[in-house]
Amino acid sequence: MAELVEIMGISHSPNFPGQIAEPNPEPAIVEAARDYELMRQRMASTKPDVLVVIASDHLNQFFMDNMPTFLVGKAPRAEGPFPHEMRTFGIAPYRANVEVDVAKNMLQLAPKMGVDFSFSDEFRIDHAFTVPLNFIRPEMDLPIVPIFTNVMAPPVPPAQRFFEVGKAIRKIINELPSNKRVGVLSSGHLAIEIGGPKEGRSSSDPEFDRRMMNLVGRGDVENVIEEATWDRMMASGNVTPGFLNFVLLMGLADGKPPSVSGVRFPKSKGSVPYMAWDSQPGVLP
Amino acid sequence: MSKFQVDKVMREAILDPKVASAFKADTEKFLEGRDLTEAERKALIDVDYATLYRLGAHPFLLNGFTRLVWKGDKAALNAEYRKNIAPFGYPDFST
Repeated sequence: MAELVEIMGISHSPNFPGQIAEPNPEPAIVEAARDYELMRQRMASTKPDVLVVIASDHLNQFFMDNMPTFLVGKAPRAEGPFPHEMRTFGIAPYRANVEVDVAKNMLQLAPKMGVDFSFSDEFRIDHAFTVPLNFIRPEMDLPIVPIFTNVMAPPVPPAQRFFEVGKAIRKIINELPSNKRVGVLSSGHLAIEIGGPKEGRSSSDPEFDRRMMNLVGRGDVENVIEEATWDRMMASGNVTPGFLNFVLLMGLADGKPPSVSGVRFPKSKGSVPYMAWDSQPGVLP
Repeated sequence: MSKFQVDKVMREAILDPKVASAFKADTEKFLEGRDLTEAERKALIDVDYATLYRLGAHPFLLNGFTRLVWKGDKAALNAEYRKNIAPFGYPDFST
């Protein structure tokens, strides 16, 4: 039986690595970079054998010609991001082996837990995977199992479904026929608008961000599910449904509050959240 | 309305610089044979992002696409883009 050793959620903003690298980053960026370094240490301290990485695809790999809602990648290697993302944002590549046996076992166990995952034997991971992986496991030495979620192309399932899929993944990990230590890393974001009239330099709805991080921090599943509706998220910013990956993590954590969570509000781009659930004393205060 | 076909054009250009070049070099030729309405075709030829936005193009793709193929002043584009699409609010971009 595998052991779930860490559940972690951070931002996948492709702007964030560049903001950190600026000569004089603003204080909130410095603080967020420190948060993410502590998160890296936190994940390393749990000594995972494999990382299940749950993130979205930004219409790069999957598109409306063939759009999976929840998909497990089981090709032997995962690599990304897409060339145009590297050109636009200057972000670093990431390469990892895929733990194919775990991916296949997850696919086989999933229907019993109420989820019918799609799967792929040929895919590329975009910045939603590579940005958090470069923060949390820059060594590129751990195999991963990528799980793609659709948060970009409506209809997107409601928050309740993301929570349930998270609970199912927890049960699947617990039933995996191996003794592996499994860390889960997910990425998403809070309120953000891209290509809409509210797009600006900072969060498109700081109030939404504070409210949701408060609810996540308390493990208040009921209110997160009630409030994180498609319409409410779209009113906060037209790409805000990326928040749903964090709701999935709440399910993975079986509704328990995170060991640590927080959010920084840079003036220069969207807010930078973090959250982690673990069973060991953490390195964060 | 063929939002899917508009999104498909934009995505192809974003993913592949050669496609973006072909689009810019001769947009009418590039769009030949594609199942677009006349309004969509004209808006793509004119890079009329406000009309594409109003017709329900995916805003995430429209954002990247417009910056990629814009022939005017790119420095001024951000502010103009926001101002010009604002009257249309939030059109349904589901396909």
